[in-house]
Amino acid sequence: MPIPVLICDDSALARKQMARTLPKEWDVDITFANNGAEGIEAIRAGKGEVVFLDLNMPVMDGYEVLKTIQQDDLPALVIVVSGDIQIKAHERVKALGALDFIQKPVSADAISNILQEYGILTIALGEEAVDTPMIEVDLRDACQEVANVAMGRAADLLAKLLDVFVLLPIPNVNVLEVSELTMTLKATEERSTVSALCQGFIGAGVAGEALLLFHDSSFKDMAKLMGLANPEDRNTEVEVMIDTGNVLIGAFLNGISEQLHMKFSQSHPVVLGRHCTVNDLIHDNSEKWSRTLAMEINYRIEDHDIQCDLLLLFTEDSLPTLNFKLGYLFE
Amino acid sequence: MSYDQSAMNELHWLIDMVQTIEVGLVVLDKNFDIQLWNGFMENHSGVSPNSIKGSNLFEQFDYLPASWLKQKMESVFLLKNRAFISWEQRPYVFKFKNYRPITGRADFMYQNVTLLPLSSLTGQITHISLIVYDVTDVAINKLQLKAANERLEHLSQTDGLTQLHNRRHWQMCMQKEFDRHSRYGDKTSLVMFDIDHFKKINDSYGHLAGDKVIQHISHLLKQSLRETDCAGRYGGEEFSVVLANTCAKDALNFADRLRKKIEKSELVFEGESIKITVSMGICEINDQLDNSGQWLAYADQALYRAKESGRNNCVIYDQDSAQ
Repeated sequence: MPIPVLICDDSALARKQMARTLPKEWDVDITFANNGAEGIEAIRAGKGEVVFLDLNMPVMDGYEVLKTIQQDDLPALVIVVSGDIQIKAHERVKALGALDFIQKPVSADAISNILQEYGILTIALGEEAVDTPMIEVDLRDACQEVANVAMGRAADLLAKLLDVFVLLPIPNVNVLEVSELTMTLKATEERSTVSALCQGFIGAGVAGEALLLFHDSSFKDMAKLMGLANPEDRNTEVEVMIDTGNVLIGAFLNGISEQLHMKFSQSHPVVLGRHCTVNDLIHDNSEKWSRTLAMEINYRIEDHDIQCDLLLLFTEDSLPTLNFKLGYLFE
Repeated sequence: MSYDQSAMNELHWLIDMVQTIEVGLVVLDKNFDIQLWNGFMENHSGVSPNSIKGSNLFEQFDYLPASWLKQKMESVFLLKNRAFISWEQRPYVFKFKNYRPITGRADFMYQNVTLLPLSSLTGQITHISLIVYDVTDVAINKLQLKAANERLEHLSQTDGLTQLHNRRHWQMCMQKEFDRHSRYGDKTSLVMFDIDHFKKINDSYGHLAGDKVIQHISHLLKQSLRETDCAGRYGGEEFSVVLANTCAKDALNFADRLRKKIEKSELVFEGESIKITVSMGICEINDQLDNSGQWLAYADQALYRAKESGRNNCVIYDQDSAQ
């Protein structure tokens, strides 16, 4: 009898990659869920004896799914598959009863190792591998998954450096007109002021800018976490911005360059504006922009009043190369 | 030319370029001992690669901000991630002279520094490299632009004679306070005042004396302000003050103190003593006000009543007695 396997991830690309990476000879019946709530429903319906679970999902995230499984004692062996590779995330899901943790992007080896280790892999004799159902994946979804993995890398470094837990959101990826970008940014609280750091990057055929928006209320806490001498000093703010930018932007770009198999040169970071509204920042440069692919990640640090937005803006002429490079991920 | 020879040539050229490039290149091991020191570093520091190789960077240059720089370097080893240091955080890391000691405006070289993790053949990060860029011109331009913009901003907001806010800027501040009240409901009062019989002063002592009087009063006004208050020269001999977090009663105390101070003070112009008094009108903000213009008009009405009732006094705006 085939084993009911559930793949629970909000990204179509991630679901497709996961389904493709399962051992070919494994006799399974795969069900897909777009978020945690759908996932729980499928498990209750007996469709998820083995569950591959993402952590960052809308409606109901992976942590809540684990909690529900634990509380209601649902019959599911859960393997977490996430771009969030912080050690603390790892510890937390294990404490919530997850069997193990696989880092995104998934590899066939990692999966079959884990399946073998826990004795889940029962090989069906003589049966042909089931064809996995077709999943539609578009550019935006692929970018979102790439951003998701890169975001996890960056958060992991930040967590290591500061010894904290970084709360990860679902990355926001969109191809935007400039006016739309301003609107997206404005959504980040109207009243508070921000300071921004910007760093250009360029690789063969792909170029853009990384923008780090720091909510001004975050500076003092961040300076303390970094162990800087004068958290109150205004010069310390530049220090905080550049150091945070070093970690987040560098690691995020590394994450992207590894997945797309390309290298980026980075310009020196520049302080774009201090204590201004988001409006002022964008307004100054708006006539130079046309359409842009924007990846937006809102990092927050648990138990601290620290919030910063990382924005990766790719130029319009980078889109063909990105499309081409991401094409490999679809296959 | 054989392949080997051409590869040798390439290597030779590369080394030559690295030696002479106008960028500082340093390689350090985990103990911060110097492993490589290129021509740029030699020329600017005056220390040759041979004499410095193997010695500790921080012992060699004791002016370096050791704990700060070590923290950055250690994070590069730990995270295997490159790090950037900008002149905006710290003008320079290495104390080098400006390239243009005569015509340049800086005494030292502004620097951007990149810290790069270097991996060994086995993939371990065993060394880091420092890349030092001379950004003196960029930095000076940016600083000058910033200073010029600040000067322009100050000029466009300030009244030349009194150095108080000019009318346009003061009105913006008042509008801001008005908006703040409608959002948070803070108490705020507006004080308008002008100099009694100013025309007479001008007529009998001349306009120069009139200017002196206005400056004198501005000076006394500035002395009485708190940091959150906002004072401006509204018109010729008319002044206006927004007192943040102040109710009408406290505003009256403020106004009366200032009025007495002005009355008691003595201004001597060309040997003659000029006596000055002022009349003041006060209006506390309230929810019935439609806009900031009305607020101003009410303070003005109170000022008018202060004038009517004999001058040299302060009056709070009162809804009932208003015409």
